[in-house]
Amino acid sequence: MFQVKHGTDLYTYLAGAAVISVILFFALTLLPTKLRRPLIMAVTFASGLFYALEFFWPVSGPEGDQQNFLTTYIKPFSDITTVLQSFALGLGVYSLVSIHARKVVRTQSGWAYSLILIVCMVVMVIGNIGKEYIKAPWVGHLNEFAYTGLMKSLDATMFSIIAFYIVSAAYRAFRIRSTEATILLVSAGLIMLGQVAIGQAITNGIPNDGFLANFRVENLANWILKKVNSPAIMAIDFGLGVGGLATALRLWLSLERGSYFEEEL
Amino acid sequence: MNHATWPARVILIVISAVIVWTVIAAQRGKKLFIRRIPGLTAIDEAVGRAVEMGRGILLSSGLGGIDVVTLQALAICTNIASAAARYGTKVNMPIYEAALLPIAEDAIGSAYNKAGRGDAFSSDDVRYLSNQQFAYAAGVAGMIQREQYAATFLFGTFFAESLIMAENANMVGAIQVAGTPSTTQIPFFIASCDYVIIGDEYYAATAYLTRQPTLLGSMIGQDRIKIGILVLVLLGFLLTIGKMPLVKNLFEDKDMPAASYYTPVKGGK
Repeated sequence: MFQVKHGTDLYTYLAGAAVISVILFFALTLLPTKLRRPLIMAVTFASGLFYALEFFWPVSGPEGDQQNFLTTYIKPFSDITTVLQSFALGLGVYSLVSIHARKVVRTQSGWAYSLILIVCMVVMVIGNIGKEYIKAPWVGHLNEFAYTGLMKSLDATMFSIIAFYIVSAAYRAFRIRSTEATILLVSAGLIMLGQVAIGQAITNGIPNDGFLANFRVENLANWILKKVNSPAIMAIDFGLGVGGLATALRLWLSLERGSYFEEEL
Repeated sequence: MNHATWPARVILIVISAVIVWTVIAAQRGKKLFIRRIPGLTAIDEAVGRAVEMGRGILLSSGLGGIDVVTLQALAICTNIASAAARYGTKVNMPIYEAALLPIAEDAIGSAYNKAGRGDAFSSDDVRYLSNQQFAYAAGVAGMIQREQYAATFLFGTFFAESLIMAENANMVGAIQVAGTPSTTQIPFFIASCDYVIIGDEYYAATAYLTRQPTLLGSMIGQDRIKIGILVLVLLGFLLTIGKMPLVKNLFEDKDMPAASYYTPVKGGK
C-alpha cells in the first residue's frame, strides 16, 4: 500500500484518496461539537503512540540500519505530514495575497510595495514551476533572474546587515553599567583577543609551558569557552530537554487544556 | 533512525511517569508554589506600556514548524493576545510556517473571544509572511518600522534573523521580551532585548501565566527530574573519581546486552 505506484495504479490510488478525503471531510463537518474533542485527543494520542513505539521498540539488524516492525512506516507517515503542509502553503499564499491585493485595490498607504510583492510572487511562480514544463529559454532565464539574481542576492544582503546590528547591540551590552556588564565586557574582550593573531601577540612573551602558560590570552579564551561557557550551555540544554519532554507529554496526552483554545473545542 | 537504548528506555519512562504523576497530583488540588520569573512578570508590564502608548504589540513565534517549541511559543502568544485584547490593544503576529497559520489564527481568535473582544479580531492580524528566513526577517522588520510597535514578544526557534528583528524593535523604542530554546541566539537577545527568558523558563511560561494546575504540576515534575539528574551527575562524578566501573557504559549511545552496561569498555574508555 505504501509502495510507489505508476500508471493506472497511480491514478486509481489518487482517485481513491480523493474520494476518501471528501467523505472524511463531510463526516468531520457533520460530527457533533462534543465529539470533536475526543476525536482530536484520540488522533493525537495514536499519532504520538506510533512514533513513541517506533523509538522504544527493540530493534534488530546490522549496525547503522537497525529496524523494528514500525520503522518501514516512518517514511509514509512523514510523507503524510509533507502533504498536509503543502495544503497549508496554499492557505499561507491566500493570506498573503488577500492582504496585499486589498491594499492595492483600496490604494492604501504603501500599496505600491504590495503590488511589487504580488508581481514578484507571480514572476517567481512562472519562472520556478514553468522551467519544469516549458522548454523555452526565456523561462529558464526568468527563473535565473528571479531566484539567483534577485532572491539570493537580497537574502545575502539581509544576512550581511546582521554585522551592523551585532555592533550596535554589542555596544549597548558592553557599556559598563553593572557588575554583569563588566564581566561580559572583560570575557568578550579576552575571547576576541584569543581568536586573533594580534591578540595572541600581546602575551607572546609568556612561556608556552608551566604555570604561567595559563595567562597566555589564547589559553584564557579557551578556558572561558570550554570550562565556563560549555557547562552553562549544557545546563541550559538539560533544562530545555526536560521542559520539551514535559510539554510534549502534555500535548500527547491532551493535558494542555486551555493553553491554545477555549476550554471547548 | 534513532532508537532507544535500554538505559534510555528506563530513564525516559521514569521521567515521563514523574511528570504525569505530578500533573495528576496537581489536578487533584495539591497546592504548588513557583518562584517569580522576572522575564515573565515583564509581559504584563510590556502589555501595559503598549496600552498606555496606544500602539500595537508584535508577536513572533520564530522560524519553527509545528513542533513542541513553536506550540509552546503559540501558547505564550495566546496569553499575551488575551491580555492585550482585554485592554483593546492591537496585536499582530507574522507567521513563518504556512502550516502554522490556521492554528495561530484559531488560537489568537480564541484569545480575543476569551477576553470578550471577539469582534476586535481580524484574520489580517495573523498573517503569513514567507518561509524564507531573511524574507521573513525583512518582513517583520518592515512591520516594526511601519507600525512602530510599543512592545514586541519574540518566542520560539530563532536563528541568525533574531538580531534583525530585535534591533529593529529597539530602534522604534519597543519594550522587548524574548524567549528561545536556541541557545546560540540567547546572547543576541540578551544584548538587544529588555527581558530574556532563558532555558527551561521558556517551558514554564504558560504555567506561570495561566496558573493552571496541569501546567503547574508539569513544571514541578520537571524540577524534580532536574534534581534527579543532578543527583545522577554527582553520583557519576563520585564513581568516576573513585574509579568504580559501575556506570562506565551506562550512557553509551548504543544498544548492548544488559550485563555490558556494567563492565568497563576495553581500551580504558
